[in-house]
Amino acid sequence: MRVALKIWRFDAQRGERALKEYEVDAPDEATLLDCLDIVKDRVDGTLAYRKSCRMMICGSCGMRMDGAAVLACKVRMYEIAEAGQIPVISAMGNLPIVKDLVVDMQPFWGKIRAVTPWLEPGYADPGEKEHVVAQKRMDVIHKESLCIMCGCCVSECNSMEADPDFLGPAALAKGMRFVGDPRDQASVERLQALSGEHGIWDCTRCYFCQERCPKGVDPRDAIAKLGAEAMREGIDSDMGAKHAKWFVTSAKTTGWLRETELVPKTQGIAKSVKDVKFAMGLVKHGKVPPPFPPHVAKHVEEARALYDLVKHDGEQGAAGIVQGEKALGRLEHHDDGGAAAARGPYGPGSFAKPYLPGEQEDAE
Amino acid sequence: MHDVVVVGAGCAGMRAAIEAFDTGADVGVVSKLHPTRSHSGAAEGGINAALGNSAEDSPEKHAFDTVKGSDYLGDQDAIEILANEAPGDIYQLEHWGCVFSRNDEGKLAQRPFGAAGSPRTVYSADITGHVLIHVLYEQTMKRAAQGPLHVYEEFFAWRLAIEGGRCVGVICWDLVNGGLKLVTGKSIVLATGGMGRIYRATTNAYACNGDGMAMALRAGLPLKDMEFMQFHPTTLYPSGVLITEGCRGEGGFLINRDGERFMARYAPNALELASRDVVSRSETTEIEGGRGVNGSVLLDLRHLGAERILTRLPGSRELAMTFAGVDPIYDPIPVRPGAHYHMGGVATDNWGATEVDGLYAAGEVACVSVHGANRLGGNSLMETITFGRRAGQAAAEHALSSSPGSISGAPLADAERDLGRLLARKEGERPWKIRDELGSSMLENFGVFRYGERMAKQLEIIAGLRERFENVVVEDKGDVFNTDLTGAIELGYMLDLAWVMVQAGIARTESRGAHSRPADFPERDDEKFLKHSITRWTDDGPELSDQEVRMTKWQPEVRSY
Repeated sequence: MRVALKIWRFDAQRGERALKEYEVDAPDEATLLDCLDIVKDRVDGTLAYRKSCRMMICGSCGMRMDGAAVLACKVRMYEIAEAGQIPVISAMGNLPIVKDLVVDMQPFWGKIRAVTPWLEPGYADPGEKEHVVAQKRMDVIHKESLCIMCGCCVSECNSMEADPDFLGPAALAKGMRFVGDPRDQASVERLQALSGEHGIWDCTRCYFCQERCPKGVDPRDAIAKLGAEAMREGIDSDMGAKHAKWFVTSAKTTGWLRETELVPKTQGIAKSVKDVKFAMGLVKHGKVPPPFPPHVAKHVEEARALYDLVKHDGEQGAAGIVQGEKALGRLEHHDDGGAAAARGPYGPGSFAKPYLPGEQEDAE
Repeated sequence: MHDVVVVGAGCAGMRAAIEAFDTGADVGVVSKLHPTRSHSGAAEGGINAALGNSAEDSPEKHAFDTVKGSDYLGDQDAIEILANEAPGDIYQLEHWGCVFSRNDEGKLAQRPFGAAGSPRTVYSADITGHVLIHVLYEQTMKRAAQGPLHVYEEFFAWRLAIEGGRCVGVICWDLVNGGLKLVTGKSIVLATGGMGRIYRATTNAYACNGDGMAMALRAGLPLKDMEFMQFHPTTLYPSGVLITEGCRGEGGFLINRDGERFMARYAPNALELASRDVVSRSETTEIEGGRGVNGSVLLDLRHLGAERILTRLPGSRELAMTFAGVDPIYDPIPVRPGAHYHMGGVATDNWGATEVDGLYAAGEVACVSVHGANRLGGNSLMETITFGRRAGQAAAEHALSSSPGSISGAPLADAERDLGRLLARKEGERPWKIRDELGSSMLENFGVFRYGERMAKQLEIIAGLRERFENVVVEDKGDVFNTDLTGAIELGYMLDLAWVMVQAGIARTESRGAHSRPADFPERDDEKFLKHSITRWTDDGPELSDQEVRMTKWQPEVRSY
């Protein structure tokens, strides 16, 4: 097939950026990474990008394709090339560019190091045997332990764009990997550290990390789990935590969000005083209902029942939220439009059932 | 100057660095990739230790299976060390936080693997290497936060600095900033991994070019058993990525075009779980006999059912779907043998020491030898941990009890001069075609089966490629992230090693393990060849000699599965 690519080049020594177009012949099964290799080998040896395993496990080749982070080795080019599209390839976002598609990962690793990324088992001597832990309990951190540290989530993180000090989805998922590990003895300290400034409550829940993660780690889910665990431990002094708590209290008591009370409940009475004038303006223009008497929703008992259900399900914290989740197992196969799934493994058109030599007659 | 410098940061390198640090050494780790990008992370199926969690097992059984699997070429004292120390090393990893899969009792689960007499392979679904490399990096970060452990990330090791018979450092190209840097230490540990990229069809990462073996060879060290390249039986068609032996451990079938489980004709007892050399030869025979599909055979997991595939083999399914468009729940996976693991390497003793004072090696770059002529699945990860630990400890003890070697600056000056020459060349051939021709010809002429005349032809091809390489041109002349330069250097490594491999293959006129000569020497010849091959570099090219195999309890027997 004939593949065309536009690549944002960056010359670090001259500080110049340029969008260049390349067109190469590639085998039909080629990935984006294969195509970059062909460009580098045959067209321009100065093109720089990282690569190693080419099987979605080393995490080297994170980059952007048409503005969204991808692993280059995971993107098959056939349909894109056949459709005549010319994708634009650029370096990942939220990290400084070193050259072409290579970014400086040091800020990324600095944030990983900031979450105490090792098990704190609470002893020095490991003893004679392994910990005994149920698989079901370990499944709590199944998704987080799939992370390959490629940086695709960080590249797409909106909160980090606004606050470069935000810990970000990869580091927080790593944090959850230890908080959720039954062998770790420092969960409370971890939750306190992660609940501070630039931590879990600074996530804006845009879900871009979840959408772009090439391994199904679902960092936003990890952040939600950290929030739930922090609340369970009573670690709720951050404004974000108070904000979330008020949503719940409000929904439980009157069945809807009492916005007028949201600000003082989140930032405290004293801090809210300076916002009084603004709040009065809102009331005057009919933007918020008057706080007294509180408006109770018509079917408030439904909201309360919902609250009780969620509370019951959430009693186990993260362990309750994630049971049965299997990130990779959730993948669906669409290459054939679902034909294989429709016919089943041994249906009409499937490959013959295996047999041992000499068994053939029995099988037929 | 560090006490210990570890070159390479895969499982062996990081395990060595951790042990050296814990022994009290100041440690530097040099790696051309960020540590977690190392190819150990791509290991899938598991790591062998006789824990006995699934069925009765013992280190003795593990050792015997390994000796037999090695076709009796493994050094038995080293194999006993591996088998005896493996359980403790696994428990250590578990206590560091490694996310292994669990059995119904909550203990570490163990699955059957090829040529193993008991379910011995500890695993984490089918991403065992991934969880290992991340737990080792976690422990490396922990130590770096506590004391003198520094990782030189994206430092490309090019040459060993050996002065007065002592290894004093490694000369590196700094990928991010450019420039040659000499990283010095009282002890140096090579842990640079394998060289599958010499072959066109390989499971190995782009990084696996035999860097450490070639550096050691050129520095005058002996390489051992270089003719033994393992071909893994199940590499995905067409991309070549690994589909784990764990698929067969979980009960997968290998079938030919007709749906016949052909392994019954080659290994009637072990079937699909015969040793890798046996399975790869059987597949090749099927494919060459016209019973394949597109140059492949098929790995059939359908009967395992969706639940088992999704929980035990999700990574393999992801690979098959992404790179072959096949969902193994509904269709068999096309697989063929591909270059996977090199049994040979830098000759070491049981503590990783080489014949040069202050230089150690561990992992795939080294040859202790625990794998002999054929490695068992699950033993390489275990080797990286057990022998990485031993090499780290020995290197630290050597460093802490010796004074620094003298450093003249001459090796760095030589390197600067040679690099200047390479970068100054403007006319000539770029590396890629030489690399591709090397890969294709090695697969054709030095693959699963070997023939005298084809190996002779391959020597000529390599000589021609080496001549062309003399005039190779690096197009990128810049300092920043110049992978055009490092790619050319890596090609040079592979051209040296290919020559060594084929020459050792020609000299071994027998069939043993992964070295199979069906036409002229189909039998194992213990009279003449129960010996390691040893290769040294001379001005006239590689020179061969041999070395006795260290035997303890087991005499060679007929090997069948």
